[in-house]
Amino acid sequence: MREGGLSPRALVARIIVIFIFAVLALRLGYIQLVDDRYNELSDRNYLRNVVLYPPRGEIYDRNGELLAQNRLCYDVTIVRKDMPKSGFDTTRVSNLVGMSREALVKKIKQSPYRRESRLTRYPITVEQKLLLDEMNIGGFYTSQRTVRQYPRKIGGNLLGSINEVTKAKIEKDDSYAVGDYIGMEGLELAYEDVLRGEKGLVLQDIYAPQAERNTILKEPVAGKSIVCTIDAELQQLAEELMEDKVGAVVAIEPSTGEILTMVSSPTFNPDELVIGRERGNNYAKEIQNPRMPLWNRAVKSRYPPGSTFKLVTGLIGMQEGVLRPHYMYPCNMGYHLGGEHIGCHEHRSPLGLHYAIATSCNAYFCYVFRNILENKREYEITKDGFEAWRDYVLSFGFGRKLDSDFLGEGAGYIPTREFYDKRYRKSWNALTILSLSIGQGELGCTPLQMANLAAIVANRGYYYIPHIVREIEGQDSLDARFYQKQYTKVDTKHFEPIVEGMWRGVNKDGTCQGAYLKGFDVCGKTGTAQNSKGEDHSTFISFAPRNNPKIAIVVYVEHGGFGAEMAVPIASLIEEKYLTDTIKRPHLVEYVKGHKIAYPMYRKKR
Amino acid sequence: MEYGHKRKESLFGSVDWVALLLYLLLVAVGVVAVFSASWVEDSENFFAFSHNYIKQVVWLGISLVIGVVIMLLDRSLWHKIAYYLYAVALLALVATLLFGRTVNGAKAWFEFGPIRLQTMEFAKIAIALATARLMSEYSFSISSFKSLVKVALLLLVPLAITYLQNDTGSGLVLCSFIFMLYREGLNKWLCIPIIFIAALFLLSFLYSPTILLVALIFVFTLSEMFANRNWRHGVIYIASLFLTSSMLFLVLNALPVVSVDYYIILLSTTLLSMVGVCVYAYRTRLRNIYIMVLLFVVSVMITPTSNAMFNVMKPHQQNRIKTFLGITDDASLNYNVRQSKIAIGSGGFFGKGYLQGSHIRYGLVPEKHTDFIFCTIGEEFGFLGAFVVLMLLLAFIFRLMRMGDNQRETFGRVYCYIVASILLFHTLINVGMTIGIVPVMGIPLPLISYGGSSLLAFSIMIFIAFAFDAQTNRVD
Repeated sequence: MREGGLSPRALVARIIVIFIFAVLALRLGYIQLVDDRYNELSDRNYLRNVVLYPPRGEIYDRNGELLAQNRLCYDVTIVRKDMPKSGFDTTRVSNLVGMSREALVKKIKQSPYRRESRLTRYPITVEQKLLLDEMNIGGFYTSQRTVRQYPRKIGGNLLGSINEVTKAKIEKDDSYAVGDYIGMEGLELAYEDVLRGEKGLVLQDIYAPQAERNTILKEPVAGKSIVCTIDAELQQLAEELMEDKVGAVVAIEPSTGEILTMVSSPTFNPDELVIGRERGNNYAKEIQNPRMPLWNRAVKSRYPPGSTFKLVTGLIGMQEGVLRPHYMYPCNMGYHLGGEHIGCHEHRSPLGLHYAIATSCNAYFCYVFRNILENKREYEITKDGFEAWRDYVLSFGFGRKLDSDFLGEGAGYIPTREFYDKRYRKSWNALTILSLSIGQGELGCTPLQMANLAAIVANRGYYYIPHIVREIEGQDSLDARFYQKQYTKVDTKHFEPIVEGMWRGVNKDGTCQGAYLKGFDVCGKTGTAQNSKGEDHSTFISFAPRNNPKIAIVVYVEHGGFGAEMAVPIASLIEEKYLTDTIKRPHLVEYVKGHKIAYPMYRKKR
Repeated sequence: MEYGHKRKESLFGSVDWVALLLYLLLVAVGVVAVFSASWVEDSENFFAFSHNYIKQVVWLGISLVIGVVIMLLDRSLWHKIAYYLYAVALLALVATLLFGRTVNGAKAWFEFGPIRLQTMEFAKIAIALATARLMSEYSFSISSFKSLVKVALLLLVPLAITYLQNDTGSGLVLCSFIFMLYREGLNKWLCIPIIFIAALFLLSFLYSPTILLVALIFVFTLSEMFANRNWRHGVIYIASLFLTSSMLFLVLNALPVVSVDYYIILLSTTLLSMVGVCVYAYRTRLRNIYIMVLLFVVSVMITPTSNAMFNVMKPHQQNRIKTFLGITDDASLNYNVRQSKIAIGSGGFFGKGYLQGSHIRYGLVPEKHTDFIFCTIGEEFGFLGAFVVLMLLLAFIFRLMRMGDNQRETFGRVYCYIVASILLFHTLINVGMTIGIVPVMGIPLPLISYGGSSLLAFSIMIFIAFAFDAQTNRVD
């Protein structure tokens, strides 16, 4: 059947065929066996990295009530490649994701063809997500994450807000990636590391997202919740009382340094700044408000402390040995010496320390202040005396940051010797700066520092660093600094006469009898700080009860008039609420709430 | 003994059972692969006719029935009707061009209700038969220029129509006839430059004209040297050519007035030397040198003008060639080849397992059941499976060549070799494009790719060869 042998041509033809198949087989072997690049490429082809966002730690008040909680939402991402060629109901989708139809179409057109990209920066709600799922359009994916919601809608400045992380931050800290959320301001910023948790990563099969094939590379770790020191009810009351007034309220538990209430007024509804389509507008609205609601007055503003500062002057005087509680000084409607004149109101004269505090006599503390600075036995020149005085003041926490756990704390301002040397060309003396004695002049104190002063006096000479967080999930204790007593440079024995004066001011014959609470021995000191802008600032520092104090508080109402006029009733109501858990003086609440202060200085500038 | 004698007499007793087994194995691989490529997990009705694999099985049944009928027909029939079939095929191609249906940009399909046929698939059979008939004429001589022109015309007419149909890929299969022509005794030194010019056309996109010109000079001189066994003259020619052009280059550039490209100098020197070569050919009476000179000049013309020629092509053809050469960065054009390579490459040695190929499952490879069916095999059965399939194809082609060599008449031999050539071409192009060594052309992998008309046409073509073989043996 077969011929003897193949012709040479037939043989060469077979060699050619074998050669062609050898080329194919070798190339096949190369890409299948040698070049392992393709395995990885293959995986990348149908697997996508899906970030699993952890729920952010929740924030509770000191009684376990939720201040900030999480709401489930979904990020929408798109892959243009997977979208139906025949198109889909863009109008409906645009309504669901809250974009205009034109914006949606444009966004899709501009998106990468094969790579996944975010459709919008704003997450959609669970309901919207379910409706979108129902439409079952190819190329639309959702991934779960959480945004904040606030049951009580209080503590805007206190809690801060959350926003998408900025490019600058990502460059500095590579644990953040585009699209992550980060705390801005307030507690959210201060405890960002605790609250944020750890992102997880899952390798998801694009074509079978629910399948068990998904490999979890890293489980997300939920953020830790924190219990803060705030009393939600007290905070709410304080915010309500401060409505239509500009100023701040800070209340501290003296025995621990825990901040019970911190109000900066005007405040804002934290819900307005939750990530979403409205955040931008709301933020712009707040930032354009001339009363600056985003400025946390409680820890940042420098206010003249006014007469409340007389406590400090008195304490330093006693420590320096130039003042004894029984020392009497005269007051004839003020302090007059040479050209200097500091007025006072009408009261008995001469008077001792207790009554001087209770009735807030200016002249008395002018004498004390001069005696401190011009104490020739101790200091050769007045300026040395001034520096000694300044050291004492700083030991009370003024003129420096208190190192609390609340970021953005202001330092306030206590003038320095150099400052006066410069201003008065080195020719100044105790009289030149006499107004410091009564908390006027160049002094600038934050409400937090003033509240801390109240706590120091309540504790008779020491304070715990004020802090906002009480407990962190999974941690036994806070930073050690919050457990250490911080003593002032004034001996504790000198505090009792001051306390006596403050008690008398409320309970006997002083300026702040409006703060009287039966059975609680409230102690307080009013302040009426003059300022160049308008009406005097009304302030009041107080603690109660006199023995074993539970609350130390400062209320500062800008341009609120006399201390007793605005600040005293507000502080008193807060104390009543905190100490008795009820308010039995509704008329006082009505008085405070009805008292709207006009602020011409905060009018919009043109 | 009587029984044995009868077996010899019977048609099926003389069938090449090995070839038939290989055929059945290949179509079985096809059905298995098509099943994998088109299987959807939650499909409701496994046996629904709408499934590709069911369709493929039905087409296979039809093919086998027609195959048996062909085996029963007398081989002389094909010789008789070859030219008529060719005429019908041309008419059908033209009709398709006018009234056909456009699929994937190619107006190359005829539709009869649910059945869609690609005309060229069937026209190939007629062209093959007509070519075989032409070459088996007494007046035909492989070394005669006139005869070769006849063959060229026979092939160029359908090729031109497929070009107009926008389906040149299918038409280019006719180029594979060069393989058969070689077997029939076409001057091998003519074969090499022809293939070379085709390669040159592609390479001209990648390399500068200078490099190509140098390569051309070497290839042509070397093939002349091999053809005429005259080594000395070839070496002298190349040496003098480069020496002269280099001298000219240095001298001309030394002059301050002119600055000339080396390419221009080499080109003009070489073209001028052609006169000398022709004189040499006349003196030594080496006539094949004239053909060489002609081809060389054509090639030289192609190199710088390839871009102009390129523009004659249809945009999608341009893109395919560009993609193959890596000229374009357009990801969507590279996409098919890239995904196909990734799918095959990720198969490894043993593959991902049947029905486990992620690329196939997820439709990342386009045309995964038709033109890119080899991806399915490569990904799911790995190198092992792909290699086995390649070996099956190789064995089958060898078997067809063996059938051709065993034929007593030129007609049968040429026909069998044409079938082998077509299968070889399809395999090379189809497998080559899935692994990225050949530009993408829309032609199927014979017997394996999904497609009724393709399977049926290949089967008819193959069964005619089987019939030739079986009937030669029966007569024996």
